[in-house]
Amino acid sequence: MPDAPVFEVDPRAFWSDPYPDLARMRAEAPIARVPQLGGAVLMTRRADIHREEKRIEVFSSRQPEGLMTKLMGENLMRRDGEAHLSERRALFPALSPRTVRETWLPLFRERTAAILDDLAPRGEADLVRDYAMPVSAEALKLITGLTNMAAAEMDRVSQGMIDGCSNYAGDPAIEAHCHDCTASIDRHIAERMPRLSAAPDMSAISVMERAGLGPDRISANTKLIISGGQNEPRDAIAGAAWAVLRHPEVRDAAVAGLLGWDAVFAEYARWISPIGMSPREVAQADTVEGIDFTPGTRVFLMFGSANRDEDAFDAPDRFDPWRDTSAAIPFGAGPHFCAGAAASRALIAEVALPMLFERLKGLRLAGEAPFGGWAFRGPLAVPVAWDA
Amino acid sequence: MPTIHATDRTGVTREVEAETGLSLMENLRDKGGMDIAAICGGMASCATCHVHVDVDWMDRLPPAEPDEIELVEFTEAYDEARSRLSCQIRVTEDLDGLRLTLAPEA
Ligand code: HEM
Ligand code: FES
Repeated sequence: MPDAPVFEVDPRAFWSDPYPDLARMRAEAPIARVPQLGGAVLMTRRADIHREEKRIEVFSSRQPEGLMTKLMGENLMRRDGEAHLSERRALFPALSPRTVRETWLPLFRERTAAILDDLAPRGEADLVRDYAMPVSAEALKLITGLTNMAAAEMDRVSQGMIDGCSNYAGDPAIEAHCHDCTASIDRHIAERMPRLSAAPDMSAISVMERAGLGPDRISANTKLIISGGQNEPRDAIAGAAWAVLRHPEVRDAAVAGLLGWDAVFAEYARWISPIGMSPREVAQADTVEGIDFTPGTRVFLMFGSANRDEDAFDAPDRFDPWRDTSAAIPFGAGPHFCAGAAASRALIAEVALPMLFERLKGLRLAGEAPFGGWAFRGPLAVPVAWDA
Repeated sequence: MPTIHATDRTGVTREVEAETGLSLMENLRDKGGMDIAAICGGMASCATCHVHVDVDWMDRLPPAEPDEIELVEFTEAYDEARSRLSCQIRVTEDLDGLRLTLAPEA
């Protein structure tokens, strides 16, 4: 059997819009090695990803030599099997649907209302920087337990870790910045720990401590939650708001309550998946769809591509919140299924989007919204104005 | 081989010849060819394997763990008397004759 064929991309074009290349890959070379992406083998079809992600004996999440493990410590996302499950279980109480509903949702509403109070008189803003970023950061402060961290710092350390983990070229400045970010998180944890031990709550740090996880594990998993829990809701809130503003029929239906904000969020996450990719490493030789995989090969599961797969969705490039999105996999499709899915849905579909459109009357786009990224994708800025 | 009577969302019932040892979700999906998304692959994380079990069968199933209850409780089609996540039920000979319906998608 042959190795994966090579598919070349222009890295800059792929960053600004990966979808045309991904569509060609699905049609011509659905499993292909891309030299420009560190030589990783990309899996682009929904059916392949949905099936293979579950075969953790072949497509392993363990990457002890990977950048994430080196820079952030070995967190639960980089473990498999029982080691993975036991830590997920330890974290579960902080992110379970019940905790989200009973503990976080009212606080999400309170913090978001305060952000809107500040914003409303201004009449114009960048939805990414001035709304989605602080809303997401305030939620993450609550969920992690790091209420001593400023919202802007939360955003900075999250981005710094993401940049560090994709620093395949080994730029020393990016690496140093990433170390600075993880050190900041450890300082904030050390400061909060005595209080959380004295007065336990439902935050991730507190539930992990009660479950008996040691300081290293708590630190590594907290960094994972921050790297995975800040940008994605931020990008989804600002991106979905932009999509709604570009489609007046969607805005009118959602504002009138004829279309659920949950459907808007689900369709946005399908259409422009905030996490476009999750990496794996081949642990044992295997053949998939006629392509040989050899141990050690880096594999990228391209969720963003799966969610535009013509075999699963009609007119996949169209934003249509009335469509059936049940085949979409923006939160993954295997044992590493996003642990923050319930929290994200509550924050985005029950709080951030409805409260934004409710509070800022006459909300409209006031300029271009450039998008970027393929591993993580979202708007870089969404300039808007409203009737203040 | 236990037989499971599974009704899909259009009301059509199939007799699934189930394999013991596998989960109910795997049997419905792989042996029964039913349209069950089971997105997380059986991690009690996504609730897309939600089924409504016939009420007389509820007591005869192994009880649900707290993780399962918490997830399924918050789904739109939750019904205390009938709801289970099919990935959390291992099929044994005792389940011969089990009747269930796929829950509506959220
Ligand atoms: C729109 C928002 C979000 C999206 C689209 C998203 C998406 C994802 C995806 C695609 C994965 C990898 C799944 C895989 O490899 O199969 C993941 C993992 C994860 N996410 Fe999220 N996420 C979001 C928000 C959050 C939030 C708010 C948190 C925490 C507060 C969070 C915590 C996690 C954790 C802990 C994992 C690792 C799970 C594991 O390895 O078992 N995510 N997420
Ligand atoms: S398959 Fe995801 S909860 Fe059962």
